[in-house]
Amino acid sequence: MRFLTLAFVAMTVLPWATTAAAAPEVTVTLAAAPTEVRVGEPTRLEVQVRVRGGGRIQNLELSDLKKYPELEIISHQTMRPMRFSFGFGSGVQKESSITNVYVLRPTVAGTYEFAPAVAKVDGKVYRSGPLTLVVHPGAGDVSGGADPAAAPGAAVESELSGARYDERAFLRTVVEPDEVYIGQQLNVTVYLYTRLRLSPQSVIPGKPSMDGFWVHDEPITSLQSQTVQVMGANYRAYVVQRSAAFPQRSGELTIGPPKVTFDVGGGSLFDAPERVQRVGVPVTVDVKPLPSPAPAGAVVGKYTVRAWLDRTTADTGDAVTLRVDAAGLGNVQDLRIQVPPIVGVRTLQPAIRDQRRFQDGKLSGTRSWEWILIPEAPGEHKVPPIELHFFDPDTEEYGVASTAALTFTSSGAARPPQPAIEPVDAPSKPSTAAFGPIRMYSALMRDETPVRDRGWFVWLLAFPPALFVLLMLGAGALRRREQRSATAGAVQRQLIRSAENALQANDPRSFYDRIVGSITHALDSRLDEPVGGLPHAQLRTRLVAEGFDDDLVQRVINELEGADFARFAASGVSKDEMERCHQRTAAIVERIQRSRRKK
Amino acid sequence: MIRAWYVALAILLAPAGGAAQRAERVAGASSLTGIFEAANVAASRGDHLGAISNFRKLTEAGVHDPDVYFNLATSFAQSGDYPRAILNYERALTLRPGDSKASENLRAAEKALEEQRAEAEGEAMIQRSSSLSDAVYGGLSEDRLAIALLVANLLFFVGLGWASIGRRRNGWLYALLVSSGVALLFCALGLGAKAGMLRDGPRAVALGERVVLREGPDPRAQVRGEARGGDRGEIVDRDRDFVKLRVVNGLEGWTPSAGIGFIDPDHGVH
Repeated sequence: MRFLTLAFVAMTVLPWATTAAAAPEVTVTLAAAPTEVRVGEPTRLEVQVRVRGGGRIQNLELSDLKKYPELEIISHQTMRPMRFSFGFGSGVQKESSITNVYVLRPTVAGTYEFAPAVAKVDGKVYRSGPLTLVVHPGAGDVSGGADPAAAPGAAVESELSGARYDERAFLRTVVEPDEVYIGQQLNVTVYLYTRLRLSPQSVIPGKPSMDGFWVHDEPITSLQSQTVQVMGANYRAYVVQRSAAFPQRSGELTIGPPKVTFDVGGGSLFDAPERVQRVGVPVTVDVKPLPSPAPAGAVVGKYTVRAWLDRTTADTGDAVTLRVDAAGLGNVQDLRIQVPPIVGVRTLQPAIRDQRRFQDGKLSGTRSWEWILIPEAPGEHKVPPIELHFFDPDTEEYGVASTAALTFTSSGAARPPQPAIEPVDAPSKPSTAAFGPIRMYSALMRDETPVRDRGWFVWLLAFPPALFVLLMLGAGALRRREQRSATAGAVQRQLIRSAENALQANDPRSFYDRIVGSITHALDSRLDEPVGGLPHAQLRTRLVAEGFDDDLVQRVINELEGADFARFAASGVSKDEMERCHQRTAAIVERIQRSRRKK
Repeated sequence: MIRAWYVALAILLAPAGGAAQRAERVAGASSLTGIFEAANVAASRGDHLGAISNFRKLTEAGVHDPDVYFNLATSFAQSGDYPRAILNYERALTLRPGDSKASENLRAAEKALEEQRAEAEGEAMIQRSSSLSDAVYGGLSEDRLAIALLVANLLFFVGLGWASIGRRRNGWLYALLVSSGVALLFCALGLGAKAGMLRDGPRAVALGERVVLREGPDPRAQVRGEARGGDRGEIVDRDRDFVKLRVVNGLEGWTPSAGIGFIDPDHGVH
């Protein structure tokens, strides 16, 4: 039993041990399918490292891919599968790999030698074999696409007009045709030729200056490219600007140099994009005047016109709308149409609307006029045919488009014309009647400081509230003083009444107590401090110091001394004496209250 | 002795100096009057450009008179430059708010501009200010409000003082207090509104046909929108030759100050 257990353990563990001890098996391959292609044909390039036995893949690199910008990478895919296999006796087999698959489109013929791909596994370097990719010249690498305007074509190779050649990238301005009549459309296309792998989102074209042209730009929504050969090398040509231009004057007109900036590279985290800027060259256009004799008001293009009325009967004074549409190839903004004067009908200024289309490199459109016709007299009114003269640059002949004559009938009383509404073709002048006469007199006032900014304003504004506050403070003080004197007076009256009661009751002790209290209280109130505890000599000094006259001071002291004496010898005091004392005290108290203190 | 001579000389020369100053003042006044009359003659002859030039001389000389602005605005209107006419009618109304003819002409200029634009573009609308403060205080000048504020302030505090310390309080006293208090509040709010306390910046009028408003004070900055000639707004910021204009509809952006006219005359003359 023990033997069986050991055998099982040995069979289980031994393969693990042998697997761990063995070096990993590493295979690096570099292959292309096919290895020979023509320019423009895609080929699949595969770089793979495969590790059996648990090694860790640290890196896989094919450095020569960056060496050949002529090989445009259409797509790139990385796969990292990992596989485990369990076999009895062989243990767990771990197999991992990294595969980079590139789909390349060569743009230039030649032989491209790739050095071996390098893989790093567990710190050791492993290499693949080298690879040779042969690119033969293609049959369709010169011709352009379906767009006739975007056909730089083989002519570029011999004559690179409108461009300043650069090996990496350059701009080219193509003007078709380069000789036009005034008002005739010419197409201006700016191409970016590049051998660099640019990021289409990073392309920022700069519009060339086109003074002397009316320009309609066709928006480029996505960059489309084609392969063209220039100076023996294949370039990708992108249309970055496309415009329809209409020369507004004859002679030599110049289209300024275009500009473009774009980023190159930046396909991976370790490949920082490079900002590239290119400036093109100016291109001259020869603009011819229209052949003589030219009809008046002739425009360049090919047009048809039609006209109709919104109704054929109306009341006199009511409005009828005449609409004229001119449609065709050319710049519809140049179109001018006039309605001839119609007898008995007032014609207002038209409303004009334009619609433009840019299709197949040609600008076309429709211009619509709407006139309001107001019949001012009853009867039948005839709108004469309206003509539009044009010059067709394809046939180099003048033509005329004309509307049919239209009629409408108005009924009702005739209305006088209203000159307030401007007639057709009258120059628009500002109304002067509405603004009245100017003023013949002015005080010519200078810039005066506003009242609120003058110094006295704040003071005047602050004065009433400040006065109010002072008034309130004063009133409060006065009120407090009145309250105090009213209280003092009430106490005084109470003391006098008590003295009278004591006099009536013939109670000298109590009477003189009240007399002393009355005089002392009067002095307390007057001096705002208690003086009852002062000896008479000190009280005299104090009263003199406070400014009381000497006679009053003497009377106060005499009365207080007499009262003190009488309080302790009450039996000897007669009622008459008390009555006289009462009268004297009343007089003294009154004098105390009236007296003024020294400041 | 020498000092006495100097004093005597100064006394003798003082009237001469005063006379010279008076003569200078008279000469200046007659010169301004002459420019005003020349401008009026040019305007009456239909020479609007000559009239505008002379009226501008007056405003550049520091004359901020509602009649001069009225005539300048009328000359602009008669020459077809309605945005500048609107600007100067606004200035005239700022200086003399109750000027009914200036108000009437302002509306006429706005209407003419709208019609001119509608004829070319199909429709048109001018952004004009319509705040509550403009509606309430539009007819009152700032100086009148300031004087009224002083009077209301005096009456209110006199009434308050009387009510506080007076022994007899009649019904008329309370009526005075309430009415003067309301007037005080009204005038204070009005004066604040006139002084711009309710605005974010000085008032302005767009003068160009299309005033492009950009993200920043740079001609290469991204365009946010545009104001049209005659549109009112406020200048909420400045940077070198650029101002940040906020139009009445809330749109704001940077634009060169040359395309903007300030309604308050001390900010600039257009």
